[in-house]
Amino acid sequence: MITIQITNEDFCLDELVRKAKRNDAGALVTFLGTVRDDGIERMELEAFREAALPELERIRDEAVARFNLLSVEVVHRIGSLAVGESIVAIVCAAAHRDEAFQGCRYIIEELKVRVPIWKKELGKNGERWVGHE
Amino acid sequence: MKIKVMAFASFREILGKELNLDIVGEATAAGVLAILASRNKRFKEAAFEESGWLRDYVQIMINRKRIDPRQDLSTKLNDGDELVIFPPVAGG
Repeated sequence: MITIQITNEDFCLDELVRKAKRNDAGALVTFLGTVRDDGIERMELEAFREAALPELERIRDEAVARFNLLSVEVVHRIGSLAVGESIVAIVCAAAHRDEAFQGCRYIIEELKVRVPIWKKELGKNGERWVGHE
Repeated sequence: MKIKVMAFASFREILGKELNLDIVGEATAAGVLAILASRNKRFKEAAFEESGWLRDYVQIMINRKRIDPRQDLSTKLNDGDELVIFPPVAGG
């Protein structure tokens, strides 16, 4: 199973792991990104969904080809998230752990620089767009 | 010709999410940005240096493909094209 989602809803990591599991995979690596308390109260995320989904699919295809991944699950949330809430989950399954670790790392690093998603931090001292000085 | 402009994040807050421009004659990405700047002072200040150069963080997509704003602003646009303006992405 290989699925990519951008959603307003929370997700269940266990469910993603269950979907990614395969009998020929000996390793599953998960990455869970959460809202960190940097003196903020919440974060607002928005996506250019029509461009973000195809870009995520390209990144997934690159990771599958480079690291021999057997399955990949990616969920990225948008909307208003409080401190501690989940932002993104990536689950990669491969025959061996090295490929699963590298594939998962590749997907999150490429996602951060290529996928059109933006975050705004909101706190008592005001608000700011992340990465936008 | 009609050009659909979309904006995200800080540029959405200034321009709105979507607007449609009716341009007489030839249109380029630079021309669209100039029209938006002439209509909206906040956009002009957010997108352009005082010298008139586009600020480094402004990113552009034409028909869902990124262009290099330092090189490709003279790209000609066709009727119905979509131009998207956004700051650096920050997902994950």
